[in-house]
Amino acid sequence: MSQMLHLERVFDAPRDLVWRAFTDPDEFAAWFGPVGYSVPRESVSFDLRLGGRQSFTMVPDDPSNPPGGESSGTIDELVEGSLLVTHEDLPEEMAKVFGTSRITMRIELRDTGDGKTLFVLDQGPYADDFVGNAREGWGSSFTKLDTLLASRVAG
Amino acid sequence: LNNVATDRLSVIFAALADPTRRAILARLSEGEATVSELAEPFEISLPAVSRHLKVLERAGLISRSRSAQWRSSRLEAEPLREATAWMERYRAFWDQSLDRLDEHLKRMQQREAGTGPTSSSTDPERNLP
Repeated sequence: MSQMLHLERVFDAPRDLVWRAFTDPDEFAAWFGPVGYSVPRESVSFDLRLGGRQSFTMVPDDPSNPPGGESSGTIDELVEGSLLVTHEDLPEEMAKVFGTSRITMRIELRDTGDGKTLFVLDQGPYADDFVGNAREGWGSSFTKLDTLLASRVAG
Repeated sequence: LNNVATDRLSVIFAALADPTRRAILARLSEGEATVSELAEPFEISLPAVSRHLKVLERAGLISRSRSAQWRSSRLEAEPLREATAWMERYRAFWDQSLDRLDEHLKRMQQREAGTGPTSSSTDPERNLP
């Protein structure tokens, strides 16, 4: 799967704890969101099973900032403690921007062997074609453009 | 994102979504070029290249010189910067969230170990005076 956003991070915590931070509504509401936004506990609703919904709303701490919006994913794959795959269908105007009407989010947790947890996020596709295939038949001519538009976002 | 910015970005993204157009941009990142120079590496007709150039021009990704006979195209960096800045925001969103997760995991561990300020969550009676 070629995705636009790929992130990896090692957390100094056991895997079950990281899993809980993502799937327990109390824990999730306590940390999720960028700086300046928070997730009200009452907005979080997780139905942790295949086909179940995972929804929450982000609100700005400062009301004059733009609303964070509601997010609602449907669970496609679920392996307790290690794998969560959800998809979200986008409203038309966002679909145009993202270049796709459906965004998939894949979160995988792996033991690193020393009590830490590797977190791997793949989210997209955001106009998959847009960064994809950078190495297929483009040769060196792509390099400069790659620097401009793909290197940082593709990880 | 307000609607104007969204519309503008959607035009830019749509223009960038095509591999031939990206290749054209890649070529232009090395310098100005005419239609026939741009068509050279591709197995497509000059009119097809012209159509791609029109899409890129409409998105503001390139500009074209006025001279009708030897119209050359050049890359315009600003819309690309706009598009990457927008995507950067998405990455920043996760980076900031995961920083907060890192902090929260510490609190969870303290709580589990019974040493943190919120250890009462497992036993509501314990920390009461």
